[in-house]
Order: sequence, then C-alpha cells, then structure tokens
Amino acid sequence: MDMESRKKALRYFYDKVVGPLGFKFTPDTELADFLLEQEVMLEDKHGVPFCPCQPVRHDRARDMQIVCPCIPFHRQHFDAIKRCWCGLFVHQDVTDPDSLPQLPPKDVGLG
Amino acid sequence: MGDKFVRAIGSDEIAPGGMKAVEIEGHEMVICNCGGTYYAIERRCGHMNAPLEMGTLDGKFATCAMHCAQFDVTTGQALSGPVPADPGHESLPPRMAAYLQYVDMLMQHVRTESIRTYETKVEAGWVLVAP
Repeated sequence: MDMESRKKALRYFYDKVVGPLGFKFTPDTELADFLLEQEVMLEDKHGVPFCPCQPVRHDRARDMQIVCPCIPFHRQHFDAIKRCWCGLFVHQDVTDPDSLPQLPPKDVGLG
Repeated sequence: MGDKFVRAIGSDEIAPGGMKAVEIEGHEMVICNCGGTYYAIERRCGHMNAPLEMGTLDGKFATCAMHCAQFDVTTGQALSGPVPADPGHESLPPRMAAYLQYVDMLMQHVRTESIRTYETKVEAGWVLVAP
C-alpha cells in the first residue's frame, strides 16, 4: 500500500467522523502526519488502524475500543483533557495542542 | 466523439455517490459518480474478485462489501487490504473453527492489488468509456 495515499484516505474518513463529535485534527501537522503514518503501519499489520498509543491486546471487544478515531468510546475522558489520548484529535477550540497534558482518566476524576 | 469511446450509461442513471456495473466489449467495469464526475474502474476487487458495485463509494474511495478493501477510484490504487472478520462471541464447533483457521492462514497470503481504471467522459447526456 502507498503510505501517502492511505494517509490521505484516513484523513478524509476521520474528518467526517470527528467533526460532529466536536473534535478536529491537531494543528500540529508534523505530529498528525507521524501518528497517521503509525496508523497506516498498524493497519497493514492488523487490518485495522488502531490508536498508535495503545497496546493491542488481542481481546476483540477491548481492541475495538482503540480503533481510530476512538473518541466515542472514551468521550468523557477526552472531553476532560480536550484531546484524544495520542493527540491526533483535539477539541475544535484548541489552538495550542502543546498546552494540553496527556492525563490518565483517574487524574480527571474518572475511573 | 473519439473512436475509442463507447456509450456506457446515461449520465442521469447514477446519483452522486452511486456505482453501477456495466459490461463493455467484454470488460466488466463499474461506473462511479463522484459528485458529478464519473470514473470507471475494473469491476472485480483487487483482493478476492468480489463485485465492487455492491460495496460503497464515499468521495473517491470505493470499499468492497466482501472484506472492506478500499480503492481510489480516480487511480485504481489499492489503499487498504481486508479487515479481519468478527468471530462473534459464540465458540464454534471444533471442525468449523479448524477450517476457518485454515482459511485465515490462506487469506494471509492473498495480496490486495490495485485495479484497472478506464478513461471516461460525458457527452450529450451519456457517460462514455474507453474500454
């Protein structure tokens, strides 16, 4: 598969999903490009573009919750930190993604 | 009209986002309406030959209904291979499980190839294709 073409296709599909959820691609284009590249490689290996920051545990029910964009499965958590776990998506009002810490659920009063 | 082009379908036969299979001079192809621009691709999926018009077209991306392999209809380029099947929650009888494991092993050796595209143009209410 061609890396650049697949990255463009994933961008197209993700854009349609994350917008209505109140998210957008991170304005850090270098980071977005890197993360998409990792996802293409994960898709090549597993058949599914998993989140590059989460381990694949070969437990289908759990693994389906880390298929990018995984926002619907972790909505409360990501709304609290205004970004998804890996930072590919941020809340639509975010202009400085570097200012958003990657906090685990327990640190934002969840789980 | 150039000599190599032949009428495939009327330009009002497919709504935007739709696909239709046709056979022209022995070539099985799918005409895709991408927001009013027409593209023609080989009908058979580059993964396991399933008919692509039974899948979906989103923008310029066609997804096969059989294993969800995706293709760019403007270039025919294969963008992704098959998505793993959902085994469900019920355990299968051992012989069936062993058979599916064997099929999975075979499937791992199946490559998803890019597919052929055909030149198109619209003229006098017809979508013309060069087979």
